[in-house]
Amino acid sequence: MAVSTPILGIAVLIYMMAVSYLGWLGYKQTKNTEDFMVAGRKINPLVLALSYGATFISTSAIVGFGGYAGAFGMGVLWLVFMNIFVGIFIAFVVFGSRTRRMGVNLGAVTFPELIGRRFKSRFIQGFSGALITLVMPIYAGSVLIGGARFMETALNIDYNSAVLILAVIVAAYVITGGLIAVIYTDALQGALMFVGMTLLLVLTYAKLGGVMESHQALTNMAHLVPANLAAVGHTGWTSMPLFGSPTWWTLVSTIVLGVGIGVLAQPQLAVRFMTVKNTRSLKRAVLSGGPFIFMMAGVAYIVGALSNVYFLENRGMIALDAAGGNIDLIIPEYINSAMPEYFIIFFLLTLLAAAMSTLSSQFHTMGTAVGHDLYREFIMKGKAGKTVTITKLGIAVTIVASVALAYILPIGIIARATAIFFGLCAAAFLPMYTGALFWKRMNRQGAIASMLVGAFTSLFWLTFVHAKEASALGISKALFGMDTILTGTWTVVDPILIATPVAILTAIIVSLMTQPDPQEHIEHCFRSSATND
Amino acid sequence: MLGIDDPQIWLAYVLCVFSAIGCIIYGALKWNDGEEEEEC
Repeated sequence: MAVSTPILGIAVLIYMMAVSYLGWLGYKQTKNTEDFMVAGRKINPLVLALSYGATFISTSAIVGFGGYAGAFGMGVLWLVFMNIFVGIFIAFVVFGSRTRRMGVNLGAVTFPELIGRRFKSRFIQGFSGALITLVMPIYAGSVLIGGARFMETALNIDYNSAVLILAVIVAAYVITGGLIAVIYTDALQGALMFVGMTLLLVLTYAKLGGVMESHQALTNMAHLVPANLAAVGHTGWTSMPLFGSPTWWTLVSTIVLGVGIGVLAQPQLAVRFMTVKNTRSLKRAVLSGGPFIFMMAGVAYIVGALSNVYFLENRGMIALDAAGGNIDLIIPEYINSAMPEYFIIFFLLTLLAAAMSTLSSQFHTMGTAVGHDLYREFIMKGKAGKTVTITKLGIAVTIVASVALAYILPIGIIARATAIFFGLCAAAFLPMYTGALFWKRMNRQGAIASMLVGAFTSLFWLTFVHAKEASALGISKALFGMDTILTGTWTVVDPILIATPVAILTAIIVSLMTQPDPQEHIEHCFRSSATND
Repeated sequence: MLGIDDPQIWLAYVLCVFSAIGCIIYGALKWNDGEEEEEC
C-alpha cells in the first residue's frame, strides 16, 4: 500500500513493543498450570470481551468477508446478526456460564478436557485433541499467510521472512506467557481494531454523503450486477440473492449458518469461558462484546458493500472490477484509494492486530490439544511430565507445522481453511458439547458416537460432495474421476447442514439406547458451587 | 427503509444494530447480578 514506509515502520515498532510488554506481563503473572492454561480463572470481563472478539475476528473476517460483501452485497449482514446474537449473547449467557462452572467442577483446563471429563472418556479428549491438532494448523496457516502478506506489502520485506518474523514474535509470548499473555495482547489488539473500524465506518459514510444517501446510491446500482453473477442468483448489493440459487445457498448455509453457529463450538473460544472467576463476569462481558462484534464484522461488510458506490462515482466501475476481479483485494483497494494516509497506517496496524490476536489463540489451543489432551492425557494416560512443559513443546511443534503449511499449501485450499475448520467443529463438537452442558441423560456412548459420526460425515461431505472443498482437495477426482459424487444443489449445501443434524440424532439415539452415566458423576459435573468441596 | 428496498436486508441491518444495543442493555442490567456467587 502506498504509505510512507518509515512512518509505518515506526508505528509497527511501537505496536510490537507494546505487545512484547504485555507478553512479558503475562509471563510474570504465570505461576502455575491454571495460569498458563486458563489464565488463572480470574480475567476481567472487559478484557475477556475484547480478547474473545479479537480472536473471533481475524484478518480474513475483515478483508475476506468484507470483500465478499463488496462482491455480493449486504446479505452477509445476517452473519453479523448471528455473530452478535449467537456468537456473543447465546455463547456467553447460555453456554459460557455452564462451561465455566463445569470446568471448575471438573478441574478442566482445555475444551477437550472439559468434554472428556464430563463423559469420563480419555478417548473423547484424545480424539478431540487429535482433530484440533490435524485441522487447526491449516486454519492457523491461512491466518499466518494473511498477516505475512500484510507485512510483505506494507513494510517491503520478503514474504518468507515475514512468515518467520510473525510466527517467532507470536510464539515467544504464547510459549512464555501462556493464556494470560494471549488474552492481554488480544485486549490491546482488540482495542486497536475497535478504533480502526469505527474510523472506517464514520469516514466511509461521511465520504459517500450519509447513511441513507449512500445506501440509496447502492440500491440504485442493482442494474450493474455483472451477467455472470446475476446468472448464479446475484440480484443487487442491497437485496438477498435469488432464493435457492447457488449464491443463496452459499450465503445462507456456509456463511450465515456455518460460520454463525459453528462459532459456538470453537475450542479456542470456548476455553475463554473458563478464564473468568464467576458468571457475573460473563454477563458483564456481553456489554462490550456485542458492540465490538458489530464494529468489526458489521462495519467490514457495510463498508465492503458501499465501496461499490465509491468506485462507481470515482472510477465508473463496480468494486469487483476495481479490484481486478479478486474479492480479497476489494477492501485493500478501497482503503488505499478512498482513505486518508494516516488512516491507511492505522488500518494496516488493525489488520496486523487482527491476524496476531487470532494466531496467538490458535497456537495456544493447538499446543494444549497436542501436548496436554492428545499426548499427556490420552497416550500417556496422564503420567507424563508436567502439563505446562508438555504444552509448551506442543505449541512449538504446531507452530512449526503452521509455518510449514504457510509455505507449502496452495492458495485454493487456504481460502477454504476457515470454513473447513468451522464446519468440522460444528459437526464433531457442537452436539456433544451442547449435550454435555444441558442434557444430563447424554452419556459417554452417545458422546463418542456423535463426535465420530459428526467428524466423519463432515469430512466425507467436504471431500466428496461440497464442490468448493471437494474440487480444491481433488480426492474425489482421483478416486472416482469426478469432482463431486453428487450433483446439482447438493454440491452447494454446506457440510454443516448435513453433518450437524446427523450428529445430533446420533447423540440422542445412542444415549437413549444405552445406560445412563452414574448419577453421582452427573451431580458432580452439574453442581452449582465449587466451594462445597 | 434506510435507503434499502429489500426488507430481508434492512431487517438484517436493523437487527445488527438492535442486538448490539441489546447486549449493552443486558450487560448493564446484569452488572451486579449474582453478587453472592462463588469465586473460585
